[in-house]
Amino acid sequence: MTTRESKDDRIALLQGTLDLLILKTLVLGPCHGQGVARSIQRQSEEVFFVDHGSLYLALQRLEDKKWIRANWGVSENNRKARFYSLTPKGREHLVEKTSEWRRLARAMGLILDSGMGPSGEEA
Amino acid sequence: MFHRKRSTEDFAEEIKAHLELEADDLKHQGLSEDEARRKARCEFGNVSVAQERFYIKDRWVWLDRLLRDLRFGLHSMRQSPGFAITAILTLALGMGANTAVFSVMNAVLLRALPVKDPQQLVYLRTSGDPRGIGTIDTHETFSCAVYDALRQQKRGLSPVMAYVPLSGSKVAVRFGPEPEEATGDMVSGDFFSGLGVKIARGRGFTEQDEASHAPIAVISYDYWTQRFSRNPDVLGKTFYVNSVPLTIVGVSAQGFQGLESGSSTDFWIPLQGRVELNAWGNPPEDGKIYIANPKWWCLGLIGRLAPGVSKAQATAALQSAFQTAAYDGIGAPQPGERKPILSLTEAKGFRGYDAEYGKPLKMLMAMVGLVLLIALSNVVMLVMARNATRQREFSMRLALGAGRWDLFQLLLTESLLLVAAGGALAWLFATYATKAMGAWAQIHSSLAPDTTVLLFTLAVLAFAAVLFGLAPLRAAIAGGAELAVKPLATISKTDVGTTKVGKVIVALQMALCVVLLVGAALLTRTLRNLKNTPLGFPTQGLVVFGVKPDIHSVPEGVAFYQELMSKLRVLPGVEAVSIMQERIGSGSSDNSDMTVDGKPPDVANGTSRTVRSNVVGPDFFHTLGVPVLAGRDFTDADTATAPHVGIINEEFAKRFLPNRNPLGHHIGPSGVNYQMTIVGVVKDHKYRSIEETPIPMAWYMYDQIPVIGQMSVEMRVRGEPLAILPTVQKVVAQMDPNLVLIQPTTQRAQYDSTISQQVLFARLSEFFGLLAILLVATGLYGTMAYRVNMRTAEIGVRMAVGARRGQVVWMVLRDSLLLTAIGVVLGIPLAILVGEALASSLYGVKPLDVLTYLLAVVGVAMVALAASAVPAGRAASVDPMTALHTD
Repeated sequence: MTTRESKDDRIALLQGTLDLLILKTLVLGPCHGQGVARSIQRQSEEVFFVDHGSLYLALQRLEDKKWIRANWGVSENNRKARFYSLTPKGREHLVEKTSEWRRLARAMGLILDSGMGPSGEEA
Repeated sequence: MFHRKRSTEDFAEEIKAHLELEADDLKHQGLSEDEARRKARCEFGNVSVAQERFYIKDRWVWLDRLLRDLRFGLHSMRQSPGFAITAILTLALGMGANTAVFSVMNAVLLRALPVKDPQQLVYLRTSGDPRGIGTIDTHETFSCAVYDALRQQKRGLSPVMAYVPLSGSKVAVRFGPEPEEATGDMVSGDFFSGLGVKIARGRGFTEQDEASHAPIAVISYDYWTQRFSRNPDVLGKTFYVNSVPLTIVGVSAQGFQGLESGSSTDFWIPLQGRVELNAWGNPPEDGKIYIANPKWWCLGLIGRLAPGVSKAQATAALQSAFQTAAYDGIGAPQPGERKPILSLTEAKGFRGYDAEYGKPLKMLMAMVGLVLLIALSNVVMLVMARNATRQREFSMRLALGAGRWDLFQLLLTESLLLVAAGGALAWLFATYATKAMGAWAQIHSSLAPDTTVLLFTLAVLAFAAVLFGLAPLRAAIAGGAELAVKPLATISKTDVGTTKVGKVIVALQMALCVVLLVGAALLTRTLRNLKNTPLGFPTQGLVVFGVKPDIHSVPEGVAFYQELMSKLRVLPGVEAVSIMQERIGSGSSDNSDMTVDGKPPDVANGTSRTVRSNVVGPDFFHTLGVPVLAGRDFTDADTATAPHVGIINEEFAKRFLPNRNPLGHHIGPSGVNYQMTIVGVVKDHKYRSIEETPIPMAWYMYDQIPVIGQMSVEMRVRGEPLAILPTVQKVVAQMDPNLVLIQPTTQRAQYDSTISQQVLFARLSEFFGLLAILLVATGLYGTMAYRVNMRTAEIGVRMAVGARRGQVVWMVLRDSLLLTAIGVVLGIPLAILVGEALASSLYGVKPLDVLTYLLAVVGVAMVALAASAVPAGRAASVDPMTALHTD
């Protein structure tokens, strides 16, 4: 599969991060796929670009893992949509992964911020 | 993965909803309806890709791919039918031969008795017999007294069951007016319950049936099938065995063929107490049948170990009871006599099969194993050579993004196709071959391939499939994606590795072929030697059959045989007729020590005094055509009232009456009060079997001894011997409508039956040798043709710079001869090992027979030359101009 090249400065999501972001979005309450995508994009201040095909596959994957569950419902503007909500199991997983990510991000930050700056900073 | 939670329609619906929601959002931001829709779609990306990804995610992707690969595999097979057919046939032959031999070995050596908990069943064995008793088998048969004593014990073994055939061969039975033959055993009342053999229909026996000698029978499932087409009305039917009426009360479970080695039992009856149904069909001895005769050890015994008891414990528990019972009715052991010792041996397989067929079968298995190796390596070479020509295709696939795993999957699928087709053919082939082998070796147990055989075959096939998938993989990947754009000439260079592997395989195949050819040649020469071994008389025109008249006294019996012989002698085309008690060439004989002039003959220390004897009628040696060297043949004048006369062979005279005129001396069996005067000396000839070496022999006149029973009739006729049988049957039926000709055959066939195992062994190894040659030839041809193909350009250059055609031919031939030479050098030491292993199966030929080895080497060389002739010819006909322009 060829990778999608985005012309803007949005970053394609790393594998595995999408799952976490979806779970995080759903903490706030049930939401449909489009809402999740929009929410991720907005919350990341439009830095993250969500490939919608991947998003729906990820939703399906999470559903299969019983971290989220889905029901057809009606949106605020009266559209039929599939609403996803977090299961207790999903909540547990989110807590676990979040702390993992925090540690990772801290470690990365420590290394990247120490001493030399990246060579291509000016570019 | 198996049950899909969501349909693709549902997923499509969700995406539709997404697009609408997105468009709504965008409209809120001030875009027009159309623009909002377009942008929503654009933002989403490729909808159909998302749907496809969803579809793939939940499917058996590999199944989809498998189907695709299968279609492609079938397609590419159709494109090269020559390759496909050769590979499939090679596999079918190699695998089929393996499956067939394995299924025979499985049935004969590995499969357990079709009974309950066979590991608890043990055959009873004895180290020997008390002195002065008669026995069927020194180690395997017991007297009724021993049977009674051991079953009373209830310790160690419970129960102990006896079984004994009604005849040494087949017994005459009659259901309607026509007499026929069948095999029957007398058994204990708890035979079926003790063995745990189920009764398919009706009932089995009870101990009460044994005690009352109930005239009932259980028939085997096979007999029920063959004789009665599984007619349920068979229960309650009455049939006659030696004119005794018996009623069928049951049919035993499928798969149980009785305990007799070498033949399946058609029916069982409880142990009987009648003269007509004596054990082994013998006439009563001193008026006593087996039940009352402590001097005749004729019963086979099998027991079930009591729960928690080991073989050693059971043996210990029964030993003293056995040793006491052994002398029951025959007096105390003589001074210095060693008492027989009881032992137990596992009864998991069929009695006797192991000894009889074990070694040959293992050797055959080794041979077909080699054939399989050759076959598999051939297919490997074929697959590699074929896939080498697909280099471009593979490179293209790699270039288009296929991974190694994808290539392997493709190759594996194609290999699976080959293996499945070859395997199916092999199974078919094996089923027929097994039947043919069973018929040939006269193994009556079911040899049909069972689950074990199927698993064995599947395991080998699975191995083959992976092998054929992996073999071409390295070469396929090695090319890499770049090759897709390179010209063909460059590609040919990358195949050096492939040909090198091919050469190594061919050399190894040659080595295996030498081994197989040497083995086959040794066995074939053994068979030729056996077939050409002189019997001591001409067998052309000799026909033999058995009769068991319903007689109640010796004079009655003598009268019967006199009448029979005189009636047969006057039939047109008959030259001579006589009778004999032991059928010659049947593998069995009467053996006993004899006295000469009232005392044991003087023999050199350690030499045996055993004499093989037979009871025969007048004109016996004239009928056989055995030269009488001194004195005379038996005549009609040697009646019961005339002086008792006997005839001996040269070996008897040489060993027990050296340097004397044997005529006039008195001889007799030791321990029995019967003396006869030697009136004739005949030339040594074969008695039991073709292989036997000369042994002292003596003949009694049938009407002068106090016993008479079943006899075999020997007839010398003009023309086709078997053609006389219908007429003979009529004559016999006139005398007694119950009588049947027992195992009628030519005398030659009778002797040949003693080497049937060697015949089978030799024929099969010949077949495997030929198969090996054929496979090696195809393999070599393939390799050579491929090499010539690859070197077309090189050959063209050589010819362009002046190489003669002869040189080119030699270049190819030299290659294959070199491979052959390497194969021979590797193969000969292996062949020597095999020859040594075969030593005990050889007759008249040494394991290191130089001629045999020469033949094998010449054979392999001829095959090598023949297989490379065509490629060499093709190389010679290369046109330099065309060759250099190719590509």
